[in-house]
Amino acid sequence: MNATLEQFGLAEAVRIAPLIPLLPLTAAVVIGLLGPRLLRGASHWPAILGVAGALGATLIVAAGILGAPDPAVFSRTWQLYSWIVPAEGLSFNVSFRIDPLTAVMLAAVCGIALTIVAYSRDYMRDHGRPARGYERFFAFLCLFVFSMCLLVLSGNFLLLYLGWEAVGLCSYLLIGFYYDRPSAAAAATKAFLVNRVGDFGFGLGILLIYLWVAPLAPGARDVLDYAVVFENIGRLEPWQTTTIALLLFCGAAGKSAQLPLHVWLPDAMEGPSPVSALIHAATMVTAGVYMVVRCGAVFAASPTAMNVVTAVGMATALFAATVAVAQYDMKRILAWSTISQLGLMFVAVGLGAADTAIYHLWTHAFFKALLFLGAGSVMHALGGVIDVRQLGGLRRIMPWTWGLFLTGALSLGGFPLLSGFYSKDEILHAAWDRHWGLGAAATLTAMLTAFYAFRMVFLAFHGRRRLPPELHPHESGPWMLLPMGVLALGAVFAGYLGVARDPHGFLGLVRPHDGFMQRFLLPVMAPFEGLHPHGMPVEKHEGGHLLMYVSAGLSMLSILAAFVLYRLRPWWAEAVRSSFAELHALLHRRYGIDELYERMLVRPLRRLAEGCRASDAGIDILVWLTASVPRGIGAVVRPFLDGSLQSYALTMTAGLVLLAAIVRLVG
Amino acid sequence: MTDLTGACILTGALLFAIGLAGFLARRNLITMFLATEVMFQGVILNLVGFGLRHGQLTGQAFALFLIVIAAVEAGLALGLVTLLFRRSGTLDAEAWSRMRG
Repeated sequence: MNATLEQFGLAEAVRIAPLIPLLPLTAAVVIGLLGPRLLRGASHWPAILGVAGALGATLIVAAGILGAPDPAVFSRTWQLYSWIVPAEGLSFNVSFRIDPLTAVMLAAVCGIALTIVAYSRDYMRDHGRPARGYERFFAFLCLFVFSMCLLVLSGNFLLLYLGWEAVGLCSYLLIGFYYDRPSAAAAATKAFLVNRVGDFGFGLGILLIYLWVAPLAPGARDVLDYAVVFENIGRLEPWQTTTIALLLFCGAAGKSAQLPLHVWLPDAMEGPSPVSALIHAATMVTAGVYMVVRCGAVFAASPTAMNVVTAVGMATALFAATVAVAQYDMKRILAWSTISQLGLMFVAVGLGAADTAIYHLWTHAFFKALLFLGAGSVMHALGGVIDVRQLGGLRRIMPWTWGLFLTGALSLGGFPLLSGFYSKDEILHAAWDRHWGLGAAATLTAMLTAFYAFRMVFLAFHGRRRLPPELHPHESGPWMLLPMGVLALGAVFAGYLGVARDPHGFLGLVRPHDGFMQRFLLPVMAPFEGLHPHGMPVEKHEGGHLLMYVSAGLSMLSILAAFVLYRLRPWWAEAVRSSFAELHALLHRRYGIDELYERMLVRPLRRLAEGCRASDAGIDILVWLTASVPRGIGAVVRPFLDGSLQSYALTMTAGLVLLAAIVRLVG
Repeated sequence: MTDLTGACILTGALLFAIGLAGFLARRNLITMFLATEVMFQGVILNLVGFGLRHGQLTGQAFALFLIVIAAVEAGLALGLVTLLFRRSGTLDAEAWSRMRG
């Protein structure tokens, strides 16, 4: 087998891959054990080293994958060891899938994680001193990177599920990082419970895979292995494939905050900003998209499931974009934006343009992480103020943060030539190709995206200073600005991995879709082949250039609209808001979905719990009554036992006499 | 024969009554202990008396056993009394009234 490996050039990759999750895990253990006593304020060093090591290993693995000439090797699974052996001939393995999709995801996870760990070094400090829980923060962050790498690398559904739950746990721990704040504790619980709903479906899907695929593959030892499942999934009945796909999508919708399970993500902003950037923008929430692409063989086999994915994604994208327009909390605007962008990724997957979804996932990771770090920088400088109504004029005080945030917003808003522009445009193109309604909805989402991004920029960084006078904001230090600079480079240039140079292309510069990224991902896109032109190898982008010009124009138009409404003529914005007061209130209340859940689910459940508690109290009373009978008798008799031996003897004698008298009288 | 029986039972009852009266009236632990011994002897005499009355030896056999057991019990009880005295420094039974239920 080794000879085969050398031939494929994957030997190094396979040998090094286990390091990718293990290095952050080691860092987490080291910080967990040594942090509180020994490392304290230096706890970020193991984290930086561990994540940097993982990133290095990822790059080596990616190089190995690039060097593999035969794409057939990507569809196999590399077994590390036998994990659970429940019966003879059956075994669940710790096994890795090493292919281009893994490499892209790992690069995004480890790359973003490295910048964010470095950023946290200053962010988690209060006036230079480590904040409370400094070690805990880095330990959890490393644990998250470990879990996420495991999720991405896993070669079977069981290990995927393990990673899936582990990232959920880390998300829970980090949302509730400030656990003494009731809102943070509630948000952590909410995130965990909502994810439970999705994961229940996910778990059922995996069980069904086991039940239905096992009989089809009698020779297979690990029935949940990707290679086994994807090979045999086509032999199932269509309704079975659809059921499995929809159940798996349940999990994806929970993790990626899609309708109707989106409610946890805006609340998850209670966590520290680096956590929002890493977990709730760049990596963990994209696990749902990754999983659907990974299970392409399952989803592509069921047109119904694909349509559901598209429909849910589109509905979520548009819905979340409208909500984002009416929010005031910077981090929550970004959270709604994340939900919306994830929706667009699902649209792309559902249309069969999975490489486009991964491409957007890749660019989105950079600019959204950058935006979150920018919001964190503002929050750090202002001691927690994040409401755009209280900000304003920060451009002069924090010029670097402003510039970097602006770069992220331009990229998110789809400004021409930036990363977000190319990847979003691919999705728009895919949507227009399928149906004009879908295309129009996606375009509207994109316009709203640019609008709310710049609404935020203009409200927070431009205009009059509206801060309370006692606040003295300051620009953040290099530990925070440098990672943001790296991400800003990504927000500008990461998109160029997905386009090709073409003098006849857009602005005489580039041609979309023929880029390195698409060619790199081509081997893993096989299941989607034929579903959509974007899933097919190097396809001419018919009409794509026109769309690019139109979407560039629309993006700039939206930015201009935001400029006019929030910078030039703020009273216009106020007039619009008050003339559509009800609509604005509806959007601000997030369409009342949280209230609906509160009324339909939370309150009935709480009432049920109260009923249970009441019945429990009833049982308690019964028990107490039973116990009170002997207690009462005791209370009556106790005075006779006064401790005096004589009186005991006297009572005894009296009793004896009484007994004798009774015997005498009766006998 | 009959007289002896009657005398035995009567003396036994008398001894028991004296012992009981002494036990109830006195508070000195040793005196109380002696009173119980007196009650014991009354019971033994009763056993002998009733044995005579029924013309059986069971009563006398029991009496022998009881004397032995009473001796053992006396040793035990005296040991207890000694311990109680060491603890409280007095032989007054009232000193232990805090053992009330």
